[in-house]
Amino acid sequence: MVGVGDQVELDRLEKQLDAGRKDDIVKYIDLVRKLKVRRSEKVAVHGLALLNNPSSASKLGDEVWNVYEQVAIAAMDTNNLEAAKECIGALMRKFPDSNRVGRLEGMWMEANGYWQQAEKVYATLLEATPADPFLLKRKVAMAKAQGNYSGAVDSLNKYLETFMADHDAWRELAELYTSLLMYKQAAFCYEELILGQPTNALYHLGYAELLYTMGGLENLRAAKKYYAATIELSGGRNIRALYGVVLSGTAISQLLKQTRSRNEEESMEIVTLASSVLKREYKSKAPRKLPLLSPLLEKAVSAS
Amino acid sequence: MGKFGADFMLGLLGVIVLAHAAYATILYRGELKIKEEEFIRPPLPVLLEIVISLALCFWGALRVPGTFLPVLPDAKENRVVTLHANLDFMRLKDGAGSTFVDLFHTKGIKILLTAVL
Repeated sequence: MVGVGDQVELDRLEKQLDAGRKDDIVKYIDLVRKLKVRRSEKVAVHGLALLNNPSSASKLGDEVWNVYEQVAIAAMDTNNLEAAKECIGALMRKFPDSNRVGRLEGMWMEANGYWQQAEKVYATLLEATPADPFLLKRKVAMAKAQGNYSGAVDSLNKYLETFMADHDAWRELAELYTSLLMYKQAAFCYEELILGQPTNALYHLGYAELLYTMGGLENLRAAKKYYAATIELSGGRNIRALYGVVLSGTAISQLLKQTRSRNEEESMEIVTLASSVLKREYKSKAPRKLPLLSPLLEKAVSAS
Repeated sequence: MGKFGADFMLGLLGVIVLAHAAYATILYRGELKIKEEEFIRPPLPVLLEIVISLALCFWGALRVPGTFLPVLPDAKENRVVTLHANLDFMRLKDGAGSTFVDLFHTKGIKILLTAVL
């Protein structure tokens, strides 16, 4: 997860790199690894430069092998397969029997599109360590890359039977189900995520968005509640959740009007509140966009 | 730096006061031996010194290492901006996408050429 402070630091280091100052390159690569963000292009270019410079590489000490791995993956992600091979070769010479390096080799096969060879590499490694989570995850990624989404779902489900506390895997499964339009199953995954990390506003937001997509009165009401929870957990600074409350509130009242269930009243207080907060935020941060937003919000509030 | 210095000095003063209390107790027990009296409890000034040093040491220990970080999830500093990328499931080669790109590169260019000609 990337917090506010981390984001500020990452942006600062990135700006510095873009300006051509490479003093903090090690710090940048470290931060990218720690935060698990995908900045493959920058990591590949600057990381390779760092590793090719013997004096700066020797300053890294034992950390250099982590950087090799990181740069290898980034290079594969940017389709720089030659550079990736060099990095993997260096790791192979240092750690000839390592599973982690073996996985990189499999990933290199994947990046080349040699699916069968990659499968073979993973199968051999899994024989030695049948419960290696990273290898099992790679198999899911490989199925996904080949367009076999239902296969990916199956193997991920099998993986989750063993590693139930793996939040990343639940998130991936939710995304897979969403892309297969299996919203009910995706909702279950989001519920697991919320149970696992109840203070993470973004999981509440994801669940709310899923419920909003599913539609129907009950789901929309639940979506509104989860949008509200997101607002609470993010201290009202999540603009997407504010929009979500307005939209789901409007959708609920329109549904009620359509079904003419007059005895069911929906409180619109939170919708007006959210729209006033949105207006205030736009006024302070993007005043030029305010004329675009105001009529939309007024329409939404008056329709409800 | 000035504030840090002041807090640090207060903490240090607390330690010195504590050391003095210990020294005074040793002296007091020596005195008791000479007077051949029983030790019942430390004298009042020593107890007072211990209380003062406790307060000063607390002050120093809480103020010198830095400011307190917020613990509430909805605090401004604790907000999660984005989730991390799910790198373990990273797709290194998009099978469907790259086939399209390959097709475009070979067939697409031919089609373009025939259209132009």
